Amino acid sequence: MITGLLLGLCTGFIMHRSDYCLAGMFRDLFLFRAVFKLRTLLLLVICSMVLFETARQLGLLPLYPFPLFGSPSLANVIGGFLFGVGMVLAGGCVVGTLYKMGAGSVPSAVAFIGLLAGSALYAEIHPWWSAVIAQTTFQKGKVTIPQLFNSDPLPLVMLTALAGGIYFLQVYRKGGWIRPIYTEGALQPWKAAILLAIIGLLSAVAIGMPLGITTSYAKMGGYLESFLFPRHFQELAYFKALPLNYCHPLTGVPLVGGPGPNMDAIAVIQLPLIGGIIVGGACSALLLREFRIYVKIPLRQYLSAIIGGMIMGLASRMAPSCNIWHLFGGLPILAMQSLLFLAGLLPGAWLGSIILSRVIVRAELPSTSKQINQGE
Amino acid sequence: MTATVPRTIELDIRGQICPSTLLVALREMNNNIDELNSGCARLFIKTDNRDCTNTIPEAAENMGFQVTVSKSAGAYTILIFK
Repeated sequence: MITGLLLGLCTGFIMHRSDYCLAGMFRDLFLFRAVFKLRTLLLLVICSMVLFETARQLGLLPLYPFPLFGSPSLANVIGGFLFGVGMVLAGGCVVGTLYKMGAGSVPSAVAFIGLLAGSALYAEIHPWWSAVIAQTTFQKGKVTIPQLFNSDPLPLVMLTALAGGIYFLQVYRKGGWIRPIYTEGALQPWKAAILLAIIGLLSAVAIGMPLGITTSYAKMGGYLESFLFPRHFQELAYFKALPLNYCHPLTGVPLVGGPGPNMDAIAVIQLPLIGGIIVGGACSALLLREFRIYVKIPLRQYLSAIIGGMIMGLASRMAPSCNIWHLFGGLPILAMQSLLFLAGLLPGAWLGSIILSRVIVRAELPSTSKQINQGE
Repeated sequence: MTATVPRTIELDIRGQICPSTLLVALREMNNNIDELNSGCARLFIKTDNRDCTNTIPEAAENMGFQVTVSKSAGAYTILIFK
């Protein structure tokens, strides 16, 4: 539990200082053709790939490929697509929302409520969606690309790392890793990428899984729902499932849990992490004396945040799981689910960017701009 | 000696959802491009979004403007001028 809290605190702090906003990375690719920060995500993925593989070779990852990853299905693409739309509209992904909320952002707090609502909403479509997943799953029993070819992950990891390394060196020669720093206490995003890869490794070794938090959003949403609509809540099968059920071979701790609002293994792992990220973002902002709460923002942005949060919450259960899980945890082990999630995420983020720039921000222009100090 | 005081266009984008700061800044730069180019106006942006202290100067410098960034009262101000 303390591990989760510490990892969360570091994650929130690092992300706030480096503006490590994953939603922003994909959004700015489409809005501004900016790749500076997306490149650092690639750095993170390749670093994690090498770290995970090294740990596996050392016998530190006995549960490889990680628990809760399954065979690919159409659900991964659709979930990824909706997630992409939602995260751009919400102004942050499932983790970005947390550290920004910690730093005082009101739209992010609204998006957080949307996330809980969307996650709980998923329970309503769960029986139908499970059937869709079951029907569209292919390569049953295979989780990663190396498994698809019945090969050891090592050669493919080395090849990918080599290609990545050559590219990173070229970027380095052109000075493409450094950006000027105007803000106090800022951290270059490439440093954040490496630190976050190390945090991901610590999580994978300590609890047997990479960082994940969204099942707990369903938990929290379900918890609230059990108060608001107790009778209806009892009828929802989704909250009774226990998808997580394994024993960590290194620590010998049995881990059992699911989306129901009980204090099970998922709660013990994820809730401290969530709390840590919020507090980490808040600490970072407070130390810089930048913690301020502004509520006077256009109504459209509140709507965008809540709707984006709901879509993202729903999508993170449909995918299943969130961008952090898939990009920080799944891509580095070349999980097919995660590759499909990314394939959906890109067009989703593109659509979200279009909606955001044409509908959400454009319409508010006259009210935000005011002119003062008219020259003589 | 300067004969005229440049008109200052002030934008307060504190607290807003993520990319709106840069989007609004870009639009205002484009809308007032002639005045900004001739030095008759300058753009003064207040923001609490740390990320756009990088993205806005980059965009403005690409358009040929000078940019200064400073911090006051827990927020950042970005001044764009010719």
